[in-house]
Amino acid sequence: MTTSSKWPLLRTIRWACWALVVLVVAILSFAWAQKELLKPAEVKPYATPFELTDQSGKTVTEQTFLGTPSAWFFGFTHCPDVCPTALAEMAQALKELGSDANRLTVVFVSVDPQRDTPALLKDYVAYFDERIVALTGTEEQLRAMTKARFVFYKKVGSGESYEMEHTAGIQLVRADGRFFGTLDSHETADVRLQKIRRLISE
Amino acid sequence: MATEQATRINYRIGGMDGASCVSRIVNALTRNLIASLLFLLPVTALAHEFKAESLLIDHPKVIETPPGAKVAAGYLTVVNQGQADDRLVAIESAGIPRIEMHASKIIDGIASMKPMEGGLPLPAGKTVGLGEDGTHAMFMDLTKQLKEGEKIEAVLVFEKAGRVPVVFNVEKRSAQKNERHDHQQ
Repeated sequence: MTTSSKWPLLRTIRWACWALVVLVVAILSFAWAQKELLKPAEVKPYATPFELTDQSGKTVTEQTFLGTPSAWFFGFTHCPDVCPTALAEMAQALKELGSDANRLTVVFVSVDPQRDTPALLKDYVAYFDERIVALTGTEEQLRAMTKARFVFYKKVGSGESYEMEHTAGIQLVRADGRFFGTLDSHETADVRLQKIRRLISE
Repeated sequence: MATEQATRINYRIGGMDGASCVSRIVNALTRNLIASLLFLLPVTALAHEFKAESLLIDHPKVIETPPGAKVAAGYLTVVNQGQADDRLVAIESAGIPRIEMHASKIIDGIASMKPMEGGLPLPAGKTVGLGEDGTHAMFMDLTKQLKEGEKIEAVLVFEKAGRVPVVFNVEKRSAQKNERHDHQQ
């Protein structure tokens, strides 16, 4: 005769203990699953798919820019001061980065495809710096792309002399498509350069 | 003997003899003089102003355009030295299809631009500039690139002072944004 049949109480306690162990393991695994599996995926707005055309007429996608930190400015060439100033400031930043400049892609997206053709954009951005990439696309392509990146633009006026309202800040993007920060035209050139240096040294 | 030695030591400051010491000082002075003259040169070269009755118009300029650009931004300063208010109502130029006065603003991170209704007010005794708070003369429908060094003849039309001929100098965009005075948020 075994001990357990002799002592039914002891057997019950042993079963209870095992049941408790199973319960604890179940609770712990559930808690882990809650934390690990249900936590929100890292937001990578700049890894969302898009398709646009660059200044040489080549089709580019989000993959073209992932892998290198980048700085994005959205504007149009019929813009007398805000856009050329932003481009001149980015050209200056590239100059000051020296040999580190190849670790940053500067992109100018024209939200005015009606007037800004890739051929026009080519000469326009090269005037500031040949390393700046200029993109544009169809109205639908631009709408989808800017929406995913929290960029606003709107056509104001009609006929030949309309204006584009647009997000003025420059968006800094990590190599994997995560948002890093913005450059603001009210900041000094030094502050902007520090932010860029922090981005490319990540 | 002691004095002579002291003098010789003095002359040998930095391990050079008297003559090279003096020539160094002269060299340094010349260099400084040239440097300061060079520094002054652009300032004197750029100073250009126009007068009309009690208005002093200082340094009208347009920023060089990138190729393909159809618009350029012009800036100027007007000092109203008189007792009466005036107003800049229009800018005209035979060489530019259209010139309007606009104000760019960045509000809540969005850049927008509006024509300045009624032009630029010039209160008596005040200095006002196109260039402050995002204001500018917008040269529009350009048919060719505007390049540094070019001059654009234009006429400023004032409410009281009438038509005043001026010349806008085309200048390179400066790395510091002195042409675009900061706008408010």
